[in-house]
Amino acid sequence: MLDRHDMITRRKHIDIPEFYVGSVMAVTINDPNATGRSSRFVGICIQRMNRGLKSNFTLRNVLDYQGMEIMYEMYCPVISSIETLRLEKRLDPHLLYLRDARPEYSTFPMDMEPELIAEDAPVPINDVKVKMIDGDWDKSWERQELKGIDLSGLTELQKRMALKRKTPDYVQYDLMKEYRSTLPEEDQEDIYREIAPHYPALVASQRKFRRRKLAGDA
Amino acid sequence: LYHVLLIDLIEVVKVLFIYIIKMSMSICIFQSMRKILEVRSITTACLQITQIDANDRLSQQQQQVRHMSRIKRRHTVQPFWHAAVTRTLYPENVTKVNEEFLSDVIKEQYEHKSPLAAEPWPRGEWNSKSQRCGLIGKKMGMSTLWKNDGTRMDTTLIHISDNHVIRYVPASDLRKNEFTEHSRRSKNPRGALVVGADSADPRLFTREYYNMFEKAGVMPKKKLTRFLVSDNAILQPGTPLYATHLRPGDFVDVSGYSRDQGFQGVVKRWGFKGGPKAHGSTKFHRKPGCIGSGGEMARVIPGQKMPGHMGMQFRTARGLEVVRVNSQFNCIWLKGPVIGAVGGYLNIYDSGLHHCRYRDPDNHPPFPTHYPAEEAVPHVDWWADGMHNFNDATIVFEEEAGATAK
Repeated sequence: MLDRHDMITRRKHIDIPEFYVGSVMAVTINDPNATGRSSRFVGICIQRMNRGLKSNFTLRNVLDYQGMEIMYEMYCPVISSIETLRLEKRLDPHLLYLRDARPEYSTFPMDMEPELIAEDAPVPINDVKVKMIDGDWDKSWERQELKGIDLSGLTELQKRMALKRKTPDYVQYDLMKEYRSTLPEEDQEDIYREIAPHYPALVASQRKFRRRKLAGDA
Repeated sequence: LYHVLLIDLIEVVKVLFIYIIKMSMSICIFQSMRKILEVRSITTACLQITQIDANDRLSQQQQQVRHMSRIKRRHTVQPFWHAAVTRTLYPENVTKVNEEFLSDVIKEQYEHKSPLAAEPWPRGEWNSKSQRCGLIGKKMGMSTLWKNDGTRMDTTLIHISDNHVIRYVPASDLRKNEFTEHSRRSKNPRGALVVGADSADPRLFTREYYNMFEKAGVMPKKKLTRFLVSDNAILQPGTPLYATHLRPGDFVDVSGYSRDQGFQGVVKRWGFKGGPKAHGSTKFHRKPGCIGSGGEMARVIPGQKMPGHMGMQFRTARGLEVVRVNSQFNCIWLKGPVIGAVGGYLNIYDSGLHHCRYRDPDNHPPFPTHYPAEEAVPHVDWWADGMHNFNDATIVFEEEAGATAK
């Protein structure tokens, strides 16, 4: 509860926009060792962990043929801005397989412009099937039931092993698994009730940030 | 007459003889009882040593020794002088209306019970040899906070729930029961304050336990502990203790019971290597192997490491920094991890470490404790120096040396 209070307080000083795994984002942090004391990084969000104050997300980009991933803690006071340049979803809960995919799928220009979409439009889902590199993969991605990978180049053995590891159909009826992975409605309502008094102030501060940014751009 | 006198004399002598025998018997019994008490006080003194070893300058860490130790690792049976706490609860089928009536009665009973207003005890002045009372906290979990240079700090959140001072044991009474030479000859005699946490419904407890809280005028507590205090740090029974007893920047020692691991094997419990996973190893992956040298020894040495119960041991962590104090919710954040499971009780008291002691009369914690009605705390949400308050703006590093928040 106190963690939530701290998260709301921090959100008054930074606008954390809506983003999902697969969205392209730009993060600016204040770094004592960087020139100009701030550094900006653009990348695709490959993982998002919601852990209260420790919540973090990882951005991936390929710069000068070198793959690079940076994990940012959302509530760290050193982060000065988080922007979503391209808001979209992917078919998988994480995109860690981009490490073994062809570099073009992880390359984004550092001076990328934000792509605007209508506020009430639904979040677009990118159903691209990523082509993987020919050599050895870091993990056997074919066994993980990921929908965003192009698995046409697999050997017979790999295909057989992937089928072996496929989760059975009856798992969809596992109520306890669903219960463990979600929060009951009553607890959710308690949390929303707790946040409700702070919500108007949060929305107002978000609008203030966006207005300031537009004014800055203009 | 002569004959009668003689018989009377014999009777008198008989009576005297019997009396002498009875007296000597009672003296023998008394002495044997005293011996039993002495033996018990040895064991309790040992208990007390383990519990107050943080306060003892010469305390050593618990070592794994290869002989049978009189200092037991766990005590499942309470000492004989402790009052039985819980009683058997029978289904009394109290109606809702009667239940409400009973809770009203209980509330009324405690409304004007506090002895603080009637005859307040005098409060001592701080000096460099003072030792304050401690607090009982409950471990709530861990949280991350950040410093002003951007570095992350993992902290433990502890809730100081409903603490009250229950009883004061003067130094002279305490010394009677102590067996250690150190406490008997001490130049700074220490009394004890019994502190309780988490009030509970009086109906759950035995009469004996309930009567302990009579003088304090508070509801019976779920958890009790004892803190040694100097003469000038005495608190009146019934005094509430708050999180503001500590300030951000203070250092504390925290003791509690470690997480209960249950019955564990030798690999987890003692760090044995076990056996190979492959290469023909037949059922020898997590076993202890050889337990003795054989031959002339012809026995297993007492203290041989074997599987058994692991965890649930009383441990003290010293010199933990208080990083944040919230007086609205009565909780403190301590730097680093703290022993025990979430929801476990912790004894928190001023650190005994040399570099953490207070010597400056202008900079010492609230003495003997913090009284919210009399002195206000600088901030409801009070942070230590160098910590980033989430209410402040994003940290910006200037071109010159150092970091500042805008």
